[in-house]
Amino acid sequence: MKRRELFKLAAAAALTSATANAAEKKKSKESKSSFNFALLPKNGKGKRVVIIGGGWAGLSVAKRLKEYSPNSDVVLIEQRAHFVSCPISNLWLVDAVDLEFLTHSYLDAARNNGYTFFQAAAYNIDRKNKVVLTTNGDVKYDYLVVATGIDYDYSQWTKGDIELEYELRTNYPPGFMTHSEHQVIKEKLEDFEEGNFILTVPGGNYRCLPAPYERACVIADYFKKNKIKGKVILLDENPDITIKKKGFHSAFNELYKDYIQYVPSAKIEKFDLKNKKVETEIGDVYEFADAAFYPRVRGSKLLEIAGIAKDGINKKEANIDPFTYQVKDDPNIFCCGDVRPMAFSKSGNTANSEGYVVARIIANLIEGKKPTWKSPHTTCYSAVSTDPIRAISVDADYKWDKTNKVFTFANVKLNEKWQGKMGLHTGKGLLEWAKGMYRDMFD
Amino acid sequence: MDRRGFLKVIGGGLSVAIAPSLITQTLRAEDGRLYKTYNKVALVDSKGKAIKASSLQKETNYIFAYPFLGTPVLLVDLGEPTQKDVKLKDEKGQEYIFKGGVGKNNSIVAVSAICQHNLTHPTKDESFFSYVKRGQKSMAAKNGGVFLCAAHMSVYDPKAGGKVVSGPAPQPLANIILEIDKDDNLYAVGVLGSDKFHDYFKAFKREFKKSFGSWRKAKEEVQEKTTVSLLKEYSKDIIVY
Repeated sequence: MKRRELFKLAAAAALTSATANAAEKKKSKESKSSFNFALLPKNGKGKRVVIIGGGWAGLSVAKRLKEYSPNSDVVLIEQRAHFVSCPISNLWLVDAVDLEFLTHSYLDAARNNGYTFFQAAAYNIDRKNKVVLTTNGDVKYDYLVVATGIDYDYSQWTKGDIELEYELRTNYPPGFMTHSEHQVIKEKLEDFEEGNFILTVPGGNYRCLPAPYERACVIADYFKKNKIKGKVILLDENPDITIKKKGFHSAFNELYKDYIQYVPSAKIEKFDLKNKKVETEIGDVYEFADAAFYPRVRGSKLLEIAGIAKDGINKKEANIDPFTYQVKDDPNIFCCGDVRPMAFSKSGNTANSEGYVVARIIANLIEGKKPTWKSPHTTCYSAVSTDPIRAISVDADYKWDKTNKVFTFANVKLNEKWQGKMGLHTGKGLLEWAKGMYRDMFD
Repeated sequence: MDRRGFLKVIGGGLSVAIAPSLITQTLRAEDGRLYKTYNKVALVDSKGKAIKASSLQKETNYIFAYPFLGTPVLLVDLGEPTQKDVKLKDEKGQEYIFKGGVGKNNSIVAVSAICQHNLTHPTKDESFFSYVKRGQKSMAAKNGGVFLCAAHMSVYDPKAGGKVVSGPAPQPLANIILEIDKDDNLYAVGVLGSDKFHDYFKAFKREFKKSFGSWRKAKEEVQEKTTVSLLKEYSKDIIVY
């Protein structure tokens, strides 16, 4: 090593230890446990609000908080370097949009909106000392928002068979979390020669209700246009299409009669990946050339690790007050987006609109005001074909059903006509919806 | 006293005699809050001829640029009078008053066609933002008679100063203040309510570079006159569903 480099290193080490000493002193007053704090600037003189998870909910909370409570010191922790949109990704699978359309910069989001972006993976929460532990140093908070989304729950399929779960995750990824999964599915389509392509619709409140049906449509469309002797077999755990039923059924029947086989109430019981066969509960066997198996979903692992999870419709989702989003025994922690246990649609738009609600609740608390509940909002477009894109959509709020103590849809507006000018307009609407949402989060 | 000076006085909270040029045909906040004057600009057709207020087709979308070259405005004669003295509130809770439509029937309104939710606005390719006629059904509004942004289903009431009827928009549309002179010619003079021009210019930098050559050009204030076109001729596709 050159002298100069050595000197640089020594200087850096000195600097680190000096700051570490300061942090050390501060910390010893607070507790005896040893933290190694990340060095983060303050973007506000007030309370520090830390948000874990830069998805559709987290980005929205961060931006709105700086707006509603400009004095707050807002830090967004996200492990990924880029944002790659899951909504609209079905269209990317068949080249109807490019990767640039889906990809956005966390730095843009932070610099445009005045909060701090901290790229790190949060692996635990020290709730007693109000510190988030991350791979790049620890972060103190006054209020914490956990918006870490879903994880897949393979347990009903694999019953603890870790090898099987790993094989399913790796070779047949669901394509509802990371873009690497989508990339694998895209390659599968590009390489597809002939045969059955199996997709599944899980039970429970899974992420993005219409997406498996939309995906069936765009893959069938791709097979049809490229004259591929392929068929999508859609095995649905539910007794019927879960949303936009009329629109999807008519698309399956009128556009893809020979390309989609829709099988309701079909839950996979057995995987024979070696021979590329699956068997359902009632004993039907389906062979496949390729597949993307979408299992049930659960709350992200961090909730469980931090002790703020409970089992509900899905496993290990956030244990929160459904109106204030506060963790039941820890009101300084809020959970929103797809970690929530309420039966809201697990969609980008819903999470984004919830971000406004939660940011308002936190801003009110900081000002000593009462939290006010407002319904999140679901606007959801699905493509049934590409080139030109034809789409259907639904728009809804939620209301509290006092008798059954659950949230149900309210003010539902359905647009299930993909035919004619209406379908083409909705197709354009789908793209403008997405652009608007990206502006909402990143500009 | 010139117009601008007059408004400043109002803004200062003094009670002032009504300026002659503003007597009847204006929409403005009485106390001047949330009201900003820009260049007084004549509304003209593609040949540069003044647009007569009474010549507007009823319930038809017209578009012009104001107060900047890059900020689109929709102009509509609703065919029915608007409400008068509507109290409105922006997203920060600031109150202001929409006085009513202009024209003989108090039925002409102009709004900034930049959706208050996510800045969706008419472009040459398509317009998700438009006035939907009474009786025309759409997903977001059963009976029409509204300004609609189809992208995220924000619905605004044109008769109530662009008040939000439903959808995610956080505040009413910004109104463009119109004046009509004694010869029935139309002018745009200012903006009432909270606008999103700043966010809009930031968000569409690259698009402005394509459509205006540079985004600085798009930010230039309109001078003297602005050309009014039919929205259906300006945009290839007006999108309502």
